[in-house]
Formats: sequence, structure tokens, C-alpha cells
Amino acid sequence: MYAVRTWLIGGLFMLALFTSPADSSAKTTPDTLELDVLVNLYDKVKFNHAKHIMLVKDCADCHHHTAGTLAQNPNCVRCHKNSGATASVACRSCHIAQPFSAAALREKSRTAYHNDIPGLKGAYHQACSGCHQKMGGPTGCEDCHKRNKKGDAFFSAGAYAPPQSHGEKKHGGH
Amino acid sequence: MKRRDFLKGCMACGAAATLGVSQKAWGIGSFEGYPEGMGVLVDLTRCVGCRSCEAACNKEQQLPAPDAPFDDKSVFEEKRRPTEKAYTVVNRYETGKEGGPVFRKVQCNHCNEPACLTSCFVNAYTKTKEGAVIYNSKVCVGCRNCMIACPFNVPGYSYSSALNPVVKKCIFCYDTRLKYGKPPACVEICPQQVLTFGHRNDLLKIGRDRIREKPERYVDHIYGEKEVGGTSWLYLAGVDFDKVGFDTTMGNEPIISNVKDFLGIVPMVLTIWPALFTGFHLLATKNKNHEDGHSEQEDSKP
Amino acid sequence: MNRYIAKGVKTVDSHYKVPGKSKWNLQEKLLLGLSPKQYLIQALRNPFNWLLAVIFAVGLPLIAIRFIFGLASVTHSSYDYPWGLFLCFGLFAMVPLSSSGFMLGTTVEIFGRHDFEPIERLALLNGLLGYLFAVVYLLVDLGQPWRLPYPMVVAYGPAAVLFLVGWHVATYLSVQVCEVSVAFFEWIGFPVGKQGVRKITLGLTVSGIILSTLHQGALGALFNYAPNKVHPLWYSSAFQWLHFFVSSIPGGLCMVIVVSTIVMKTMSWRCDDNFRNNLDKLTIGLAKGASMGLITYLAIKLMGVAHDNKWEYIATGWGAWYIFEMGIGVILPLFLFAWAIRRRQLGVIRFGALLTVFGVVLNRLNTAMITFNWKLAEREIPTWQEVIISVTLFSIYIVVWRFILYRLPILYTWKTADERATTPARGYVTGGDQVPSMAGSYRSRMEDGIIRPARQWP
Repeated sequence: MYAVRTWLIGGLFMLALFTSPADSSAKTTPDTLELDVLVNLYDKVKFNHAKHIMLVKDCADCHHHTAGTLAQNPNCVRCHKNSGATASVACRSCHIAQPFSAAALREKSRTAYHNDIPGLKGAYHQACSGCHQKMGGPTGCEDCHKRNKKGDAFFSAGAYAPPQSHGEKKHGGH
Repeated sequence: MKRRDFLKGCMACGAAATLGVSQKAWGIGSFEGYPEGMGVLVDLTRCVGCRSCEAACNKEQQLPAPDAPFDDKSVFEEKRRPTEKAYTVVNRYETGKEGGPVFRKVQCNHCNEPACLTSCFVNAYTKTKEGAVIYNSKVCVGCRNCMIACPFNVPGYSYSSALNPVVKKCIFCYDTRLKYGKPPACVEICPQQVLTFGHRNDLLKIGRDRIREKPERYVDHIYGEKEVGGTSWLYLAGVDFDKVGFDTTMGNEPIISNVKDFLGIVPMVLTIWPALFTGFHLLATKNKNHEDGHSEQEDSKP
Repeated sequence: MNRYIAKGVKTVDSHYKVPGKSKWNLQEKLLLGLSPKQYLIQALRNPFNWLLAVIFAVGLPLIAIRFIFGLASVTHSSYDYPWGLFLCFGLFAMVPLSSSGFMLGTTVEIFGRHDFEPIERLALLNGLLGYLFAVVYLLVDLGQPWRLPYPMVVAYGPAAVLFLVGWHVATYLSVQVCEVSVAFFEWIGFPVGKQGVRKITLGLTVSGIILSTLHQGALGALFNYAPNKVHPLWYSSAFQWLHFFVSSIPGGLCMVIVVSTIVMKTMSWRCDDNFRNNLDKLTIGLAKGASMGLITYLAIKLMGVAHDNKWEYIATGWGAWYIFEMGIGVILPLFLFAWAIRRRQLGVIRFGALLTVFGVVLNRLNTAMITFNWKLAEREIPTWQEVIISVTLFSIYIVVWRFILYRLPILYTWKTADERATTPARGYVTGGDQVPSMAGSYRSRMEDGIIRPARQWP
């Protein structure tokens, strides 16, 4: 009697285990991310991933086909008709932080295709702010990342702003 | 005067006049840049006018503090040009096209055959093999002919200096970056990757590819590919170039083509004039007892 | 000065105060034969000097400020208009007016027209001083004027038109100094120097023509560097240099007419009979030359417009300005000359010459400054400091003119020790002051034994 019950519970448990979806992105995907690879003049970006999943719904809108959704763009379909998910869907796995270093340029000239992809900073901004402009999201620089002190000095802004000189237009030039 | 002395004098003066005025043989203006020359492709459809490039240039070239912070957008109310304190500026253009205003970054275009270089009489400018047009302030006399010649009105001048006024312009970050193969400061900082750095020839291909893949986004022209002999800084735009401050009437000839004909005449005059005018002299003063000393004819005309 | 002469003061026109006995010393020569007190009195009495004093009082400090504080203190520091009044007026306008040096040199030495000799030295001096002060204006305008010799000795940019201009102006200044040095050597009594220069005069003159052709043209070619910036009516892609060169011909000739008129009015005491008696006739001769230059210039300007097919620009506002410049500077003088040469109306000729000079100056100002950057929204007007400094430098130019004319044998003939009325010797004769001369001889050239008085023109 007890042996049958044990087997039943074990079997049900195994059944549950194997029938749950393998790629449950809702479980393994982070809800928030801190983008700090390029931190220099600005603080790190606190990215609300969960909110974007809710708003955007299609992973491919941001992650191209690397998140598993098949490519739609006819230009991409030429090669990526059956391309599924990649090992890493993080932006930085393809978009490098220093796209114009000598090494990157050497690499670039040899590649036949995808020789015009933006670097990491450019990819973030083009993807994010492009969509934000259309959908009414934050578009100002400091809306997503506040300037730190170094940034203020760099931009001669905030505490480092030059003294106001009203109405003094420099003569010369146009 | 004895004929011999006259000829001696003529030779001496003619030789003195030709001294030092050697003309290099210039080929036809078809220099397309050094093979390893770098360039920057500026994609105006991406620029949002954040002015980070201006800030980066200011820091990299150790320029004086600006009049207004670099995040101040009110500067867009008037059109600016590069000055002695700002080697690059961004201007805003309202084109009425949906998508908002177009922003344009202005800086030295590092031409293939720069007008500044060809107009400088002390050879202060150099086009390096990396593609930068750099300037040697140690020989500059301050004639400002380069400012007259530059078709893009780029060089500024530090008029306020009494002892060492010099030309100030973008040098492609040559001293600190380009020499070592690194991209200029403005390229590195641009968040939208408006600026793509690479070999000029590769950039032309990239530019054409972008136009081909998104023809509705771009005007089918790379500004700087051929203008005034070609420049290293190339532009793509989503509206007609003359609507965003570009001069589209310049033609494809480098500026030096306009003066080459005159420069070619110089040695001709130097060679022909002595014989011509000596001939006139001999013809005009025949029978006039000018200085031959052996013609005894009296002029009998009343 | 006239008052002193009326009182019997003798002007310096030879080495000897009293012939055969006492010589003028250098101080006396410098002070025009007056005592220092007399000299000072005549200087203070002259109202023109009062005007000069005012100009210098304001202008000289400004020039000092320019050098102490940099160009920003006296100009607009413009990046779009880097060349201001100093260059556009002082250099571009004064250089074509100074072409008289090579013009009269050529006329007399190359073409053998010795009847123009009375005015030759004035024209040579006009040329020398014009170029000299063009360089002075340049030194005031350059950012680092102490580096002016750089294109000669430090760094060469031979493909640049300005390189040619620099070398040629420097060489040509040397040529002109040599040509004028004849008068100087006469004045200080250095016959060896004078003979030395006479030997190479022909070579100097030919060099002068070569250099002048090229640098007058080169100043025009400078604007070929900015084809899009100069208004199409003033810019010619093919002929810019020719326009500048050809317009320098009437410019120089008419400048001589203007200067000689001023000289006759203000310092006639210094002019001898030789100069006075021949001036009217020579003025007509110069005007004839200028007319030919003007009609040629008009033709090539029109050809320039036709060549690039720019006729439609004439109907614009700039076109009206172009018509004004050509009308008042070229066409009107042509009519005036045509009418007046026939009837020997010297006053009208002189007025026509003045208009021509004005026209040349206006043309250079238009090309270099007024129509420059015609596509830009803002016109730039020079600062008042630039205007005052330009006027001050011009006043210094006039003062130097006057200084030299009062002293050197330009307007008068230097008389030598023995004035005997003998027929001129033939052949080349060496030796300076001891050569017997003709009474009323034209020039010291006669004393060198260069034969033949000039032909008498009707």
C-alpha cells in the first residue's frame, strides 16, 4: 500500500517537473538590471526589465532574434530564417564597449557583414531613445542616468557652470 | 651703357627674381586621400543635439571654459561656427520634417586637398597619412589666408593674444589619439554613435550601404565624398543638405585648382618678359643714340 | 616756405650754398637750407601740420594699443572676415596705385621715351612709397609681424600665391630702392653709387616689369582661393589676376597725375622749371596711357562676366553697385579723358584721374571686403579703431612723401658744380659731378653723358 503511494507521488512530481516549460523566461530573466559597464560621467542606469517586457511584449523588438523569436525583417531573414536563441541575449555580447579601437577596426574590415553595428553605448541609446521618442518615454540624458560630479565638470554644468554673462554676444563670425 | 653691362645686369636681376620661386609639379586634383587615411562618417539622422561632442573636444584639446554649459540647449537659437574656443559646434535646423529638428555637427572636414594647406605660404599645414590636417603654430605668421581660403569657414584665430596669436581648429585629435590609432574624443563620447570612425574608403562603403538599406531614411548623397576634392569627414542626412547649413554649390574641384592656372603662368612670365621687353627696348631705341655710344646720327625730325 | 623764398632764402638744389665756395652740410640739407628756428616756424605755421598733429595724437596711441594688446583690441576679431581695412585698403588698394614705378620706368628706359623723364622720378618714388607702406600696413595687420621673413628663410610654401606675393614684393622693393637711390646718391653726393646703379638700370627696369606683372596679378589670384565668397560680378575664375593687373595700369598712371597735381598746389617752390613747364604735357600723355588701360579693363571685365555667364547678377542690388563702380571709376573717366585730352583741359583730366584712383580703390575694397562673404547674412563694417589707424598710417605715408620731396632731387634737377652751356658730350662718360652740364639740362642723366635732350612734343 505505502509503496504504491510513494510511486504515485514521485510520478506526479516527475510529471510536473518535465511538463513545465524549459524556457520559462519569466522565471530566469531579471526584473531589473543595473547597466554600469560604461559608467564614467553618469551614474549607472537602473533598468526596469519587467516593465519593458510588459510594455513591449515581443522580445525581438529589443533583442533581435537572439531571444528566440524568428526574424521578420526581410533583410535579416536572408540569413537568419531559422536562427533561434543565442547563448547570451545581453546587448554587450555583440555590441562591444570600444567599437573603434584599433583591434576592433582590424576585425571590422575582415567581416563581410554586420560591419556597421553600433558599439554598446550607441546600441543602448539608439534602441532605447528611438523607441522612447515614439512611445513617449524618457528622452533627456538625465532622465535615465544622472550626471555624477565628474560629468558635471566635463559638461561645465551644475556646480561647474561658467558664471552667467547676460547679453554678451561675441563679435565676430556669424 | 655698354651692351655687356646691360646684359649682365639683366641676367643678375632675372636670376634674382627666379630665385626661390620654385613651383612643385602638381598633378590634376584627383588625390583621393592616403590609402590608410581615416575618416568619420557623420549620420545626421541619429544626432539628438546633446552636445557631448563639444564637451569632449573642449576637454581633450584643453580649450578654455565655455560661455555656457554644454547641456545648455539655448545656444541652438543662433547658428554658431567653430571659433578659437570651440573647435566643434552643433547647430539645430528646423526643417519641418516629422521627426523633429535636425542637428548638425560642424568641425574641420580634413579635406583631401585642403584649401588651407595650399594657401599657406609657410607650409604650416600638413595632411598626415592618417588623414588629419594638422597645423604647426611655430611657423605661422598670422596672414589668415587659410581662413579666407577654407570653403567651410572653419579655422578660428586667437586674435586676443598679443604675443602668440595662432590659428585654432579641429586637428582630428591627432596629437593625443589619431597618431596612436585611436578615435577622436568626439567620436568616442557620442552616445548615439552619430560618428563612425574608420578608414575613409570603408566609410564610403558603409555610407552607401546605409543609404541602400534604408532609402526612405537618407538622402542619396554622401556629402564630402567629392566636394572640393573630397573630405575625410563625410555626412549622411535625412533632408537636403542645403537645408541643414551645407554649401552645395562648391563643386568637386579642390580649391587649389582655381589658382593652378595662375601659378603655371608665373614661370612663363619670368622667362618671356625679359626677352620681350629687351626686344621692345632694342626696337624702340634704335637710331636714338641711347647708350650705344657708336651711333652718331642726329635726329632730324622737327 | 614761400615766405622764406620771397625773403631771399636759397633752397637746396645743389651741393654748394655759394657756388664754388661753401657746401651745404647734412643738417642744412635736411632742414631745407633753413636755420632750425626758421624750420620750426614754418612747420608750425602750416595748417596741414595741425591736422596731422590731431591725427597722430589719436592714431599713434591706437597703433601702440594694437601691438600691446593684440588685434582683438582694435578689430572685430572676425573669423569670417579675417582681412579688415588694413589689408583691404592699405595693401590691396595701395599696391595697384603704386604701379607707377614700373610704368614710368618702362616708358623711359625700355621704350626710350625720355620726354617723360621730368615725371619719372616722382612716379618711381610713388611706387616705392606705396609698396613700402603696403608692407607697413601688412605689418600692422599680421598676427605675428616679426615672423614676416619666415617665408623667405624659415618655412616655404611655394604652392601658395601669397608666397609669390611675398617674394616679389620684397624683391621689387629692393629694385625700387635702387631706382630711387639715384636721386638719393645725387643728394648726398655719392657719385660712385649713382654710377653703379645707372649701369644696371635697364636690368632693374625689366625685373621691375616682371615682378610687377606677377604680383599685381597674384594679389588678384589670392581671391581665387575663395571662389564662393567673392560676389560673382567681382570674381572671375579665369581672369581674376588679369583684372587686377590691367586695372593697376590706369591706377598707377592716374595716381601720378593726382600726386603731381597735389605737389604743384602745395609745394610748387620745390618744383623747377623743367618740371613745371612739362607737367601739363606729361599729364596729357599719362592720361592717354590711362585711357588705353581703362578701355582695356572695361573690355576684360565684361568678358569676365560673359565667360562665366553672370549677366543675371547685374539685375540685382549688387549689380547696381557694380554698375556704380564701373561707371564712376572706368566709364566716366574714359569720357572725361576723351573729351579733355583733345581740348587740353587739364583740370578735367585731373578730375578724371581722381575718379580713376577712386574707382581702383573701390574695386579692391569691393573684392576684398564689401562683397566678400556676400552669401552670409551679416556684413561686417570695420571698427572705428581700424579706420583711425588706417588714416594715421596714411598720414605717416604723406609725411614721408613730403619729407623726401622737400629734399631729394625728384621735382627739381640737381645742379652740379660748373654750369656751363655746352653741347652735350657723346658716348658714355664716367665721373660724376665734375662733368660739364648744360644749362637748363633736363636731368643729371645728361651729365652722365647720356645724349640727346628729349624731343619736344607739340
